[in-house]
Amino acid sequence: VGVKLPSQRLTTSDLMSQTRHQTRIQLERLTGIHERRVAGPGETSFTLAVGAARDCLAHSRHQAADIEMLISTSITRSRGGSSQSFEPPLSLYIKNAIGAGQAANFDLSNACAGMLTGVFLLQDLVTRGEISCGMVVSGEYISHLSHNAAQQIRSLFSKQLASLTLGDAGAAVIVEQAPRGADGIDVIGFTTLAEHSRLCLAFPSNIGPGAQMYTKSRTLHRVAIEDMAPLVAEAISEAGIDLSDIDYLIPHQTSARAIRKGTAEFARRLGAKPKHVVVNVEEYGNTSSTTLFLALHKYLREQRLRKGDRVMLLALASGIEIGMAIFTVGSEADNYGRMH
Amino acid sequence: MGACIEAAGALASHGLRKPSARHLADTAARRCLAFAGRDADDVDVLINAGVYREDSMGEPALAALIQEDIGANLGQPPIGGHGTFSFDLANGACGVISAIRLETGLLRSGVIRLGAIVTSDVDPNLTRPPGAPFQPAGGAMLLRWDDGAAGFTDFGQETFPEYEDLFVSGLVWRGRHGIRPLRRTAGKNHMVIDMKPGYQTRLADCAEEAARRFLRQLGMDAGDIDLLVPAPAWPEFLDRVRVRLDIPGDRVAYTPEDLAGAHTTGPIAALQAAIKSGRLGESRNTLMLAAGAGITVALALYRQTPPGSRM
Repeated sequence: VGVKLPSQRLTTSDLMSQTRHQTRIQLERLTGIHERRVAGPGETSFTLAVGAARDCLAHSRHQAADIEMLISTSITRSRGGSSQSFEPPLSLYIKNAIGAGQAANFDLSNACAGMLTGVFLLQDLVTRGEISCGMVVSGEYISHLSHNAAQQIRSLFSKQLASLTLGDAGAAVIVEQAPRGADGIDVIGFTTLAEHSRLCLAFPSNIGPGAQMYTKSRTLHRVAIEDMAPLVAEAISEAGIDLSDIDYLIPHQTSARAIRKGTAEFARRLGAKPKHVVVNVEEYGNTSSTTLFLALHKYLREQRLRKGDRVMLLALASGIEIGMAIFTVGSEADNYGRMH
Repeated sequence: MGACIEAAGALASHGLRKPSARHLADTAARRCLAFAGRDADDVDVLINAGVYREDSMGEPALAALIQEDIGANLGQPPIGGHGTFSFDLANGACGVISAIRLETGLLRSGVIRLGAIVTSDVDPNLTRPPGAPFQPAGGAMLLRWDDGAAGFTDFGQETFPEYEDLFVSGLVWRGRHGIRPLRRTAGKNHMVIDMKPGYQTRLADCAEEAARRFLRQLGMDAGDIDLLVPAPAWPEFLDRVRVRLDIPGDRVAYTPEDLAGAHTTGPIAALQAAIKSGRLGESRNTLMLAAGAGITVALALYRQTPPGSRM
């Protein structure tokens, strides 16, 4: 796993001081987000993705030439002149920039569940032996949604409120065939609850470059909690374990309050709870499609994950997309950051 | 045993005053399901490979809206393993072949039983920009596992980065200047499509090169191909690639004229022509070939019987 974070930080209090209207919204208290990283001059979705891909390679035993498939899953696709690049796909520019020109490539769009969707697809290709090594990468320069929302938000009930939680980041992950007998992905799966497809919509903005996002946050979280619990129960049952056997649950990072509420509800419904729930929104905000792997990287880098730990990644995205992966950490984690 | 085409169909947007990418894909998907006698709930994975839509919506995936429109596994969370998973895939004119590769894999590993691929493109501003080389169109195809056929056996993709600037597109912000009247927007994100002269010819040259390499790796040559299913259908591309590969015209699935300008729907439109003519069923070795921005060339080999089996 690799990441690329912009060096520039924006605190929630600074962001809220930029709103055009006096809102009286206590965003930090509501979400737990103290600050987020924001792209500086010259930084785009592309540069964040490339930086993350290079960091990922540096943490692995692979060279760029080993990558047989590269999937870019950014929601935002900024690259130089255009605010959003459509063709060629961003994945083409990324693979060429890192020297993986031989890799098959395409872009995948599945909102905040994009990276885990890519892992789901690569896992299938790798397990069957069609490829031996693939990369999922995402660069999200998405903070322009916050700036656009700040021009229009008037109250706590604005549908653009969730836009104020966003931060920029790049993340990348390599999926490879585990050696025989080694730990790996136990369960991975996805479903789309399409009857709720319109609860969060993002379109190009007409007030500034970039996009605007409209979210029915309360309905989204209610539906997510209600519908996700039985799916989590099914996944842990398929893995032959109990929720309490999960050492680290890494959920999509939206707000600390939403995560706490969601995991408490899971615990109540499933009669068990994971040993640790990873929350990092206070320092990065919601970095959209990269949140799960940004959190995973942080815990690897800080040596909190050890060989044998069981981790559950839980994706939640507009659509509504619900995805989860349960895997056991391999011995590489014990040396994370020392491999080159 | 292999992943086989159950149905495929494409449509142009004749008569639609303001074509919508979502509606084109919806219509194509419904027709495809009806033709195959399938229920929308049978679809396990739905991939939308379209690129240009009227509102350039960034999220959710358009596939989720299409899933809702066609009514695939709506209602309660799909406990017991059967639901529909939808997402968008973008690889320009080659997106359909990328999606076929993924669904073939999921069928092969038994993760899914029926896969759907939909496509559609319209101009995001509801008017065709100067230079846009494609027309509004939508398509859909279904893939299933068949124990008695080989189906899709091999895939290839090659890119030619030295030509990546020959076709580029993206949203560009253009602000309004001067005094901003009340209630007027500050500007707009415009879709800009730039196709350089010579792109189509270069596309054909790259397609020929990639196709020859792909077939060589499989121990085949162009003479082994009974049917070529190509996209795009522009004569500048198609005639050149056919001649350079030395494939006779009667071994080519020609896209009907009303769909000849289709973009991401191109491979499905050509496939539909191959199915309608009956030639897909007769062909032992069918080569799907798509070429687009990048320059990217995607290839898929579709066989009636596994290689090496007795005819």
